[in-house]
Amino acid sequence: MKPMIRIVFTALLVLTMVAVAACSSNNSSSPSTSPSTGASEQPSGGKTDGEKVKLRIMTITTDENRNNIMEQFIKPNIAKEFPNLEVEFEPGGGGEDMANKMKTYNASGDMPDIFWNDAGFFTSLNQAGNIMDLTSYITEDGFLNKYKVPEALKHFDGKIYSLSSGADTYFTPVIFYHKDLFEQAGVQVPQTFDELIEASKKLKDEGIVPVVTPGKDGWGLKLFMLQQMVQTGDPEAMMKLVNNETDFNDPSVIAGVERIERLAKEGVFADGIANIDYGPAMEMFTSKKSAMLWMFTWELPNLAKIDSVDFFPFPSSSDKYDPNKVAQFWGSPLNGYAVSAKTEHPDEAVKVAEFLAMQDALYFESVGSAIALETGNTAANLSPLMEKFLNWYNAADVKIASFALNSVDARMSAELSTQGARLLTGEYPSAEFLKVINQEWEENTWFGN
Amino acid sequence: MNKFFSTKMSIAVFATPALLLFTVFCVYPLLPQLWMSLHNHNGFQNLGFVGFDNYWSVMKSSSFWVSHRNTYLIVAISVLIGLPLSMVFALFIDVQTPRLRRFFKSAAMFPAILSVIVVSQIWVAFYEPNWGLFNTILRSIGLDGLTRSWLTNEKTVMISIGLTFLWQYIGLNAILLYTGIKTIPKNYYEAALIDGANAFQVSTRITIPLLQDVMKYVLILSSLGSMAFYAHVRVMTAGGPGDLSRTVIYQMYYTAFDTSQFGKGTAIAVIFILQCLVISFLIQRFVAREKVEF
Amino acid sequence: MKNGIRLFWFVVGCSFLFPLYWMVSMSLKSKSEAYNNQFGLPKAWAWDNYMEVLSKYDFPLYFKNSVIYTGGTIAITLVAGTMLAYCLSRMSWKFNGLALFYVSLGLIVPIEVVIIPLFQLVKSLHIKDTYFALILPYTGFSLASCVLMLFAFLRSLPKELEEAACIDGANVYQAFSRIIFPIVMPALVTQTVLIFMRVWNEFPLAFILGARDQFRPLTVGLHSFFVSVGVSHWGYIGAAMMLTSLPTIIIYMIGNEKIENALTAGAILK
Repeated sequence: MKPMIRIVFTALLVLTMVAVAACSSNNSSSPSTSPSTGASEQPSGGKTDGEKVKLRIMTITTDENRNNIMEQFIKPNIAKEFPNLEVEFEPGGGGEDMANKMKTYNASGDMPDIFWNDAGFFTSLNQAGNIMDLTSYITEDGFLNKYKVPEALKHFDGKIYSLSSGADTYFTPVIFYHKDLFEQAGVQVPQTFDELIEASKKLKDEGIVPVVTPGKDGWGLKLFMLQQMVQTGDPEAMMKLVNNETDFNDPSVIAGVERIERLAKEGVFADGIANIDYGPAMEMFTSKKSAMLWMFTWELPNLAKIDSVDFFPFPSSSDKYDPNKVAQFWGSPLNGYAVSAKTEHPDEAVKVAEFLAMQDALYFESVGSAIALETGNTAANLSPLMEKFLNWYNAADVKIASFALNSVDARMSAELSTQGARLLTGEYPSAEFLKVINQEWEENTWFGN
Repeated sequence: MNKFFSTKMSIAVFATPALLLFTVFCVYPLLPQLWMSLHNHNGFQNLGFVGFDNYWSVMKSSSFWVSHRNTYLIVAISVLIGLPLSMVFALFIDVQTPRLRRFFKSAAMFPAILSVIVVSQIWVAFYEPNWGLFNTILRSIGLDGLTRSWLTNEKTVMISIGLTFLWQYIGLNAILLYTGIKTIPKNYYEAALIDGANAFQVSTRITIPLLQDVMKYVLILSSLGSMAFYAHVRVMTAGGPGDLSRTVIYQMYYTAFDTSQFGKGTAIAVIFILQCLVISFLIQRFVAREKVEF
Repeated sequence: MKNGIRLFWFVVGCSFLFPLYWMVSMSLKSKSEAYNNQFGLPKAWAWDNYMEVLSKYDFPLYFKNSVIYTGGTIAITLVAGTMLAYCLSRMSWKFNGLALFYVSLGLIVPIEVVIIPLFQLVKSLHIKDTYFALILPYTGFSLASCVLMLFAFLRSLPKELEEAACIDGANVYQAFSRIIFPIVMPALVTQTVLIFMRVWNEFPLAFILGARDQFRPLTVGLHSFFVSVGVSHWGYIGAAMMLTSLPTIIIYMIGNEKIENALTAGAILK
C-alpha cells in the first residue's frame, strides 16, 4: 500500500472508531470504564457475590486536616467497613475549584454519589434536584441520635442535607499570637481595637509582621473579618445583618468596614496580604515571621503544639461588645457529606456518608478537638489551649451565625471575595466597597427563595 | 494540472476529516452558548428568554471594562513589545557562533515548555513582597523606595503578570521566526552582501519582507493567544486585588461559574469571540496581503 | 554597544533557565528552608522529598495517560490537518477561502468558553471515561493552528513540484505522500512540538473531563497533589513540579537538535 493511502486509511479508521463509540449503546462492551452504566445493571442491594457496588466520592482537600483524615482514617478503614463496595475518590480541591467542578457536574447531570457539600454551591444543586434529603434515612438507622444537637443539622427549610463531624460547631475565628514575640516588643494582649493598632505598630518597629491571615481572593475577609469588625462594635447589628434585617447602610456595619480599611492603612497586615494564600499564611505564623494569625480554631490543635502560641478573642471596638460573651458560630448545616439524589444506590451512599462523617469525627477527636458527634470513645485529654478555648467558647452565650455561610447567594459571595481582597490592599476606600456590596445585597437571592 | 488534482473525490477525502473533527468538537459546542446568552440561565436551569438583556447588563458592569482594559494591555504588551523583541532576538540568534546559537536556542524555548501552573507559581515567588526576588534585589542595591507588593498594587499588578507572560513566550516566538529566517534562500544574502549591504539593511530589506507568512502566523498566534489570556491570572492573583487583574476570559468564567449567571457569562463569551473575529479579520486583511514570490 | 547587546541577551537567556535551577533547588529543601531560603542552594539536601512525593503521587499512571493524550492528539491532528492544509493551498475548491477562515476561528475559541457543552457532548457520544474524551476535543482545538501553519508553508512551495509528479503519472494521493509530506516534515515537527506543549500542559478541560483517577493526566495529578498533599510544603511541591516537567525537559533536550536539523533541512530543500 502506498504510504499516503495508509495514512488516509488510518485516519478514516480512527474516525470510524469514534463513530462506533458514538453510536454504541450503553450495553456495548466497555467494562470498567463506565461506572454509572455498569452499576445500573445491578440490583440496588448490591449483595450479589463478586459484583461490587461502585460509588464515586468527591472529597474536600483543602488543608492538612483534610489530608490527614483521608490518609489516616478514611482510606485504611473503608474497605473493612464496606467489603461490597468499590469506591473511587476524586479529590475536589476546595473553594472556587471545587465549586466550579460541582457546578459543571450539576449542570450536566453527572453528580458523584457522595460529595462534600458547601453553602457556596448548595443552592444550585438543590434547585436542580441533585441533593438528597437525608432525614428519613438517618432517623431510621439511628445515626441522627448520635449528634448532641440533632436540630443543628437542619437547613432553614427543615431538611437535612449534609452530615458532618460536628467539629465545626466549635470552629470560630480567634487571634492566635506568639507570647514571646509580644514580650520581645513589649506588647500586652490588646483589649480594644485601638490597642490592637498600637500593639501592631510596636511589633512593626521591632521588624515583626503584626498580623497575617489568608487574604487571597478575600478568604479571611469574607469568612470572618467583616463579621468580626462589625460585631466587635455592635453584635446586634451583625445579628440583624445575618438575618437580613438590615443592610450595608447601617451605621454599625459601615463602622465595621471602615475599621478594616483602617487596619489595612495602618500597616497591621503583612505586605501583600491580598495575595497571601492559606498555606503561606500558616507558614508565616508558625515560622514566627508574624506575631498574630487571624484564623479559625480548626487549626488550634496543630498550633497548640507550638509552645509560644496562645490566643485571644477579637478585641472590642465599643461598649456594646464583650469579648467573653460574643462569638461567631461557624457551623452551617450545609457543610458536610451529602448524597446525590440521583444515585443508583441510595442506601449504600447514605451509609458511606455516615461513615465519612464519623471518620472526620474520629480524626478531630484524636487531635484533641471538641466534636458534636458521639464516637463511642472516651474523650481524650485535651491540650491546655483547647481547654482554655472551650471554657471561653462555652461561656459565650451570644453566638452569631457566620454571615458568609448563612446569608449570601453564590453571586454575592463571589463579589464579597472580590471586593474584600481589594479592601485589604488599603488602596480602596471603604465607601466604594460599601456602595458595591450594598448593591449586591439588594439583589441577594438567598432569602428570596 | 489543477483540474487533475482537484476532483470532487480528492477534495472530500482531504478536507472532510479535519473539518468534521473541528466542527464537532470546536464549533458545535458554541451553539448552546449562543442560545444560552439570550436566556436567564443559572447553569442547569433556564429561567426564561431575556433577549439581549444579558448583553446590556454585562456591559454596564465596571468589571467588564476593567477586564477589557487588562486584556488589551496584554495584547499590546505581547504584540508591540513582545514581537519586536522576538524578532530582534531571532536575528541576534542568526548571527551567533554555532555554540552560542545552540545555547540561546535551547534556553529560549525553555519557559514555554513548562506548564503555566509551574511558571506562574515561580513568578509568584519572585514577586512576593517580603522575601521575593525582586524586592530582595531592590533592597540589596539600596532602592528600598522602589519595593512594592507587586501583585496587590493596582498600578503594578497587570504589568507584573504581563511581564511573566512576555518572558514565557518571547523565546518561543523568536524560535518560530528564526526557523522562518532559515528558510530564506542563502543566495539572497550572498547577492545582498556582494552589493555591499550591511547587517541592518539585510534584515530590513530581505529578512523581514520575506518572513511575511511566518510573521503573520506568529502575529495571529500571539495576538489571539493573549486575547485568551487567563491561566496565569488564575494562578497568580485570582483576578485580584478585587477585579483589577481580571481578563475578559476570567470575567466570563467568574460570571458564569462563580456567580452562577451562565446567561451573562456566555454573553461575555459571545462579545469576546466577536472581538477576536474582528482582530483576526484585520490581520488577515491588512498584514501581508501580497504574497512575496521567491 | 555590540557587547552590550550580547550581554543583554545573555542575561535574558540565563533568566530563561532560572526556573529550572529554582525547581531543582526547591525540590531539595526542607519545609522551613523553602520559606527562609527561597533562591539560594539548599543547605541540607532533602532527597526524601522525592521519595515522599513518589509514594503519594501516582507518577507512572499519570505519565502514561499524558503520553496517550498527547500522542493521540498529535497523530490525528497532523494527519487530518496536513490533508486539509494541502487541500486549501493546492486544490481549486470554491470554498477554499471560506474554509480557511472557518478553521482559523479555532484559534480564537478558548477552551474554557465551551467546557459545559463539551462535557455534555462527550457524555452523549459515550466517549466519557475513555481516552477519546480528551483526545478528540484537543484535536478539534489544535487543528486551527496546525492548518494555518501548514497552509503558510505549503503556499510558499513552488507549484512545479507536483507538476513534475503529475507528468510522471502520479495521482494526487501519491503526489501528496511522496512529494509534499516529506517537504512539510519540518513544519510537522514544529507543530508536533507546539501541540505537545499545549496538550501536555493543558489543565482546565482535563480537570473536568479527565477527573477519574485512572484517566488523570500529569497536570491534573499535579494539581490534586498541590491541593491535597503539598499544600504548604514547597519542597514537595518543587519535587512534584520537577517530576512533572522532567519528561518535557528531557524530550526537549534530545529533540532540540533534531528539530533544528529538520528545520534546516526544510530550508535547504528550497
